[in-house]
Amino acid sequence: MFSSVFLKTLRDQRRSLIGWAVGIVALVGMMAAMWPTVRSMPDLNEFLANYPEALRELFNIESLTTGAGFLNVELFSIILPALFVVFGVSRGARLVAGDEETGSLEVLLTTPLPRWRVVAEKAAALVVGILWLGAVLFGSTWLFGELIGLELTVGYIASATLAMTVLGLEYGALALAIGAITGRRALAMGVSGTMAVAGYVLYVAGEFVAAVEPWQVLSPFYYALGEGSVATGLAGVPLGHMWMVLAALGAFALSIRLFERRDISA
Amino acid sequence: MGRRELTAAISTLGLTKRYGSVTALDGMDLEVHAGSVFGYLGPNGAGKTTTIRLLVGLLKPSAGSGSILGHDTWAERELVHATVGYLPGEFVAYDSLTGEQYLSYLAHLRGTVSWSEVDLLAKRFDLDLSRPIRTLSHGNRQKVGLVQAFMHRPRVLVLDEPTSGLDPIMQREFLNLIKEVREAGRTVFMSSHVLDEVEAVADTVGILRRGELLVVEQVEALKAMAVRRIDLMFDREPRVEDLQGVPGVREVWATDHSVRVVVEGTTCHLFDAAAPYGISNVVTHEADLGEIFLAYYAEDE
Repeated sequence: MFSSVFLKTLRDQRRSLIGWAVGIVALVGMMAAMWPTVRSMPDLNEFLANYPEALRELFNIESLTTGAGFLNVELFSIILPALFVVFGVSRGARLVAGDEETGSLEVLLTTPLPRWRVVAEKAAALVVGILWLGAVLFGSTWLFGELIGLELTVGYIASATLAMTVLGLEYGALALAIGAITGRRALAMGVSGTMAVAGYVLYVAGEFVAAVEPWQVLSPFYYALGEGSVATGLAGVPLGHMWMVLAALGAFALSIRLFERRDISA
Repeated sequence: MGRRELTAAISTLGLTKRYGSVTALDGMDLEVHAGSVFGYLGPNGAGKTTTIRLLVGLLKPSAGSGSILGHDTWAERELVHATVGYLPGEFVAYDSLTGEQYLSYLAHLRGTVSWSEVDLLAKRFDLDLSRPIRTLSHGNRQKVGLVQAFMHRPRVLVLDEPTSGLDPIMQREFLNLIKEVREAGRTVFMSSHVLDEVEAVADTVGILRRGELLVVEQVEALKAMAVRRIDLMFDREPRVEDLQGVPGVREVWATDHSVRVVVEGTTCHLFDAAAPYGISNVVTHEADLGEIFLAYYAEDE
């Protein structure tokens, strides 16, 4: 448990990882349980036809008549992306900047462990935490899908789950990086949170406004929600995820480099 | 040069730290000899903690450099960390861990700690390692900090206000430990504003004021140079002018047959001058570091 920074960081997260997992399972279960009611609404299609065209496009509402489409609208479009981003950002900001602000980093950084390794091990623990939540999401979606009969394909579940995981990773890496570069947790959370909202707004605006559409490629949400399986139900790994993983790795690398060279605040 | 290279455990050359337009440490040149205890004195805000955090590689020098056992404190900080035990001025551990968990974590990261040493230190400081750190008093947390600084038997100890929060018994225990460490040929750099403790263990002291190292001197030499207050009682009323002219005498107050003088350095000239009047009694107020320290600050005001 205490033999490395990686294991110690994971241990610090254990309660939070269990709590978040329970929350995700409950959320997925609750939504899935609503599916039979929604499906049996006699005038569902009529009801949906009243929605504005743009909204129907954004949430791919036509597909509300399938189990996958229902989950896309209810879970994978707003709530789960927000949860994964919040988890990534709050954890990421705490890992270096949080410890620096409390003062506990001071002794850790005077052990013979190089600074880069401290950041790398903390980053690895962050990645494992987000992957764990992704696995929980995958498992619970599959389980409730089977139990309640949403008729989901494993490919759909995998790619929808992957999209959420990569989003959490992306913004978690950003928060960790800003925290490691500045040593300020609130700043790391604020900037990453703002970037997440901005990314979402950019993606949504691109769906509505033709002039914004070319800029959509700058938004991680475009890759996670738009291009990815969530909206279209495609199986497999969209290429856009690779960009997001590369961006996360880039953020880690940059933060390590700058962390090596800066003063640690007292 | 040869001697310096052989014996300096800690050395700095023009070590400087600036924050914007504020100079926290200004061109410090210092050598601390291996096997000695260096007491670092100065009021709060003088730059003691800045110096210490430069020495342990947490801060990057704005100019100049420092080295510990020949390793640059910034460029080779991992090598420095392997040989140095460091206690921060405000030691913070992880609240949720017990003392044992915290120390075992650091011991694993260091890889060169024998647990018997941890037990020995904990016993010595009467520290219960099984309690969560958040339930410990300030003094007991400080003990955890001391144990982590000493547990790998480092060749150099860099301690920022080490006795802060310790009760008098533990302070004495700490000073005993410092003496043992020195006898074992290890080097200690400790900051303090408790002059008594520095006087009790330090071989050399440095006095810092507003980022400037004013003086580095052997404790004994510093005391010899010190300004002392002496009360003399005479059989016959002395001529004050005779005493005022004596080398080293700074001030003289006379009332009837008794005279109070303030002397710097040796007192032999004073007694030569005073003897003809028949000295009946002498009360000397021995200079301690506190007075020396204050004198250095007073000079500037």
